Amino acid sequence: MAVETSDSFEALEAQAAVIMAVFNEAAYERVAPSIIQPADIFLDAVGERLRARTYVFTDQDGEMLCLRPDITVPTTRIYLQRHPEANVAARYCYNGSVFRYQPGGGSPAHPREFRQAGIELYAQIDEAKADAEVLLRTLEAVQTAGLKAPKLRIGDLGLFDALLDAVDIPERWRQRLLAQFWRPDAFRAELKRLSTVPGSAVEGLPADLIAKLDPKQPAKAESIVQDYLDSHGIEAIGTRAVGEIASRLLAISLDAHSAPLPKAIADLIENYLAIEAPVRAAGARIKDLFQRNDIDIGEALDAFERRLSLLTKGGANIAQATFDAEFGRQFEYYTGFVFEICSDELGPASPIAGGGRYDELLRVIGAPRPIPAVGAAIYTDRLLLAATGATS
Amino acid sequence: MSEPLIVAVPSKGRLMEQTAEVFARAGMVLKKVGSDRGYRGIIEGIDGAEVIFVSASEIVEQLKAGRAHIGVTGEDLAHEHVADMEKRFQVMRKLDFGHADVVVAAPAAWLDVRVMSDLEAVGRDFRRTHGRHMRVATKYMNITRRHFQANGVTSYRIVESLGATEGTPAAGTAELIVDITTTGTTLKANGLKVLDDGVLLRSEATLFSSRAASWTPDTRAALAEIARHIASL
Repeated sequence: MAVETSDSFEALEAQAAVIMAVFNEAAYERVAPSIIQPADIFLDAVGERLRARTYVFTDQDGEMLCLRPDITVPTTRIYLQRHPEANVAARYCYNGSVFRYQPGGGSPAHPREFRQAGIELYAQIDEAKADAEVLLRTLEAVQTAGLKAPKLRIGDLGLFDALLDAVDIPERWRQRLLAQFWRPDAFRAELKRLSTVPGSAVEGLPADLIAKLDPKQPAKAESIVQDYLDSHGIEAIGTRAVGEIASRLLAISLDAHSAPLPKAIADLIENYLAIEAPVRAAGARIKDLFQRNDIDIGEALDAFERRLSLLTKGGANIAQATFDAEFGRQFEYYTGFVFEICSDELGPASPIAGGGRYDELLRVIGAPRPIPAVGAAIYTDRLLLAATGATS
Repeated sequence: MSEPLIVAVPSKGRLMEQTAEVFARAGMVLKKVGSDRGYRGIIEGIDGAEVIFVSASEIVEQLKAGRAHIGVTGEDLAHEHVADMEKRFQVMRKLDFGHADVVVAAPAAWLDVRVMSDLEAVGRDFRRTHGRHMRVATKYMNITRRHFQANGVTSYRIVESLGATEGTPAAGTAELIVDITTTGTTLKANGLKVLDDGVLLRSEATLFSSRAASWTPDTRAALAEIARHIASL
């Protein structure tokens, strides 16, 4: 927050104590990660777009640093420092400030400094159970702090992955769609391209070269490309090897020889992503859609159902929750279950808390392989506003 | 005395000469005055205007802070160093000199890369093969980030380069570059090609006005007078 009055400071501290007590009670160990973080790790995990919203700076020694834009990455670093093999289950909680660049210096609605309290659960093998636990603890925390009627929205990126795995589609196209998933416009354009003119990337490339490349003889591609470069007097500079250039040209040439993605599959993907409904109805629609298309994603759907029943058993009002297949697309590091808790007081544009599964992040930060991880963060300034009507 | 209109003009080199030429053609002669080492001046024939001679990049800062009302600088610098440039600066006149393009250039040997949208696929493959992001060397970090994002390119890292950017791919310190170029010959000599849709900005020297400056009846009157002269070009 831009200016903290002593009143709201005291109120936030008192609220944090309530939240932390809920987390401690559930065996989450409190950690206090550094506010100043190495920028590299965030840039690797989030990408260059991080710079648009983060205070990145260089210190006197030339080291590139940032003010933490969230506390999940710093907490995950602590976990990996303690357990480099990432083979031990661990529960951490935190409370502190995060910093986001706001054009024009920030405003009460969009502060450049605000607080988050949250939990992270690492290396818990039973994923549905871990997902449910994190959501239940977060719900308990915001309700204990006074939030009257939490509104729940959930999504499941695992269902989308499973859908792409189950449909008949070349692996390189699957990879491309998965990578573009995070940018809905680019995704739609790619899906349209694949289902109409998959070979369009070949346009504008040297036709004589493409004609020589035979997708059935990949071993020859590199020397064909090298010959082409030599005969055109182009020097191969830089770190990207001729072999890498050749293999992408091969993939483009292969696309040019491929039949388009069947319209039925493109429609199925679009129809799945359009599902937004109360959780139970959404579950039924997903099942129906997949059955009609002869798609079996049994395991992912079972995990989805099991998570719901664990949540119900844990006391969450799942019948009132909304499922949105698109939800989670804006946060590239999520990999599975995602959720958001909103309030009547602040509306859907200002969630009180959000979280989800991010199994890839640990590998990006330095774990030897993807590690199950799920967490949630509460925007405590908003929670205070919604729970008490207090102004901050 | 009433507050003068502050006009910021480049303090050295071709930019200064060409600015003076254009102003003179519009009937406004820039004249250095005073003893403070020639960094202040007046415009002959325009009352209520005062000229400050500062570097092109400093002019952007002066306009941003509202310490100068109007100023001549490169569009590339304005776009790079001012968030929400369109909201804070107004283009009074493009001055038709100092032309240069901010471009994305990759090794000419990248036969598979023709347009920006190819870079995302290349970046993903590169990361898988090399275990790190493809690097883009540039001094235009903000322009690069904005345009790459607009084109759906996310698999890359920026490395800041303050000189000899065009040599970084051959030196192995970056895979591609975003740089300013006038003819493209330097890029070619360094084994690089500009992508088909790789012109991010066509920049030229431009007379900007600052929305942050204090606009009084006097400064507005001086501005109108200058605008009238400029319109005669």
